[in-house]
Amino acid sequence: MSENAVDQPPPADSPKKITLYPAWCKRCGNCVAFCPRQVLKNDEWGYPQVAHPEKCISCHMCEMLCPDFAISVGEDAPVRKEGAWFKEETPSAPRGAREFSHSPERLAPEPADREEEDDGA
Amino acid sequence: MSTVHPSIVYDWLRHDKKFPHVWCPGCGLGIVLGSLVRALARSGLGKNEVVLVSGIGCSGRLPVYVDVGSVHTTHGRALTFATGIKLAKPELTVITVMGDGDSTAIGGNHLIHAARRNLDLTAIIVNNQTYGMTGGQFSPTTPLGARASTAAYGHIEPAFDISALCATAGASFVARATVFHVVQMDKLLLQAITRRGFNVVEVLSPCHTNFGRQNRLGSQIDMMKGFKKAAVQASRWDKMSESEREGRFPVGVLVDRDRPLYLDSYKRICETAARLRAEGQI
Repeated sequence: MSENAVDQPPPADSPKKITLYPAWCKRCGNCVAFCPRQVLKNDEWGYPQVAHPEKCISCHMCEMLCPDFAISVGEDAPVRKEGAWFKEETPSAPRGAREFSHSPERLAPEPADREEEDDGA
Repeated sequence: MSTVHPSIVYDWLRHDKKFPHVWCPGCGLGIVLGSLVRALARSGLGKNEVVLVSGIGCSGRLPVYVDVGSVHTTHGRALTFATGIKLAKPELTVITVMGDGDSTAIGGNHLIHAARRNLDLTAIIVNNQTYGMTGGQFSPTTPLGARASTAAYGHIEPAFDISALCATAGASFVARATVFHVVQMDKLLLQAITRRGFNVVEVLSPCHTNFGRQNRLGSQIDMMKGFKKAAVQASRWDKMSESEREGRFPVGVLVDRDRPLYLDSYKRICETAARLRAEGQI
């Protein structure tokens, strides 16, 4: 847990919407470790979970320190492709065990002329 | 700084690339990528006005993920290609992303001469103190005594201080940040991108997979907390005594000065040559 923690009441406009995107998450733990208010905690698989949304002060530290862009704070978080987001009510499971209706690697609609995935250098 | 929501990064990523990206879990390069994109969004530049150039190494993958003009070049030659791009198209904003080995070992000569010329470029040097991609061999920035794959009993060479090297070589703007100081890194990158001259931002980044593991530094979280502990703001650094500076380093703007720009001199010499030719003297 972060040593930045300060036990103060959260601001009046809490809770903030925190959106997780486990398909991109590599479970590094930066978001949990550097949250100044302990809003997040790890689930049994090491993925972040929103434990105390009411404590969030919208500092965006988790979002900026996430190397994989797998977490967003605020109502104006990007709208991902339908079904690509992991639904919160589904129980946690390691990557691969989750079901996605679309490729989890895609945010934007795929170009029509695209034939196969290119990892290009 | 204008208000840019951090999720702006999704608008600047290349969505035909495979995500999550190739870097290790917790690698600082992802944080640098996010910070660079936020700085670009805040600078007001369009995607067609920016060119990202990288060399080889873990940092070489960075421009691949950003939806701007990008060049992935040979080892150590990012600044060389960037120099050519800038001279051919001076209206573009050219940013190079290099690692510590890429910039100070293989491309060491290019770095000091680009700084000496003071070409209008931004160089982001991600310093993880080792060659991360090839297995943790020592690089010119590996600290004295640290362990590496090729220094099993401790490194016997003193390290380069990249910021001091660039400042001495003549860079007009030199700043240092760490991935822990991400808000400050945003500001420094924005300042470097919007400024004219050779602008260097050295970013200290944890390589917990190779450097951290071999030196028992723990996870990237422990290494980032180490950065937090060791970093001193540049304004305070000047007032510290030699003993207090032991094992610590300054972050923030280290050098900010005006020097004649290579592009201006180049333009003048072209005009002189054209005039002499018109007068029939050459």
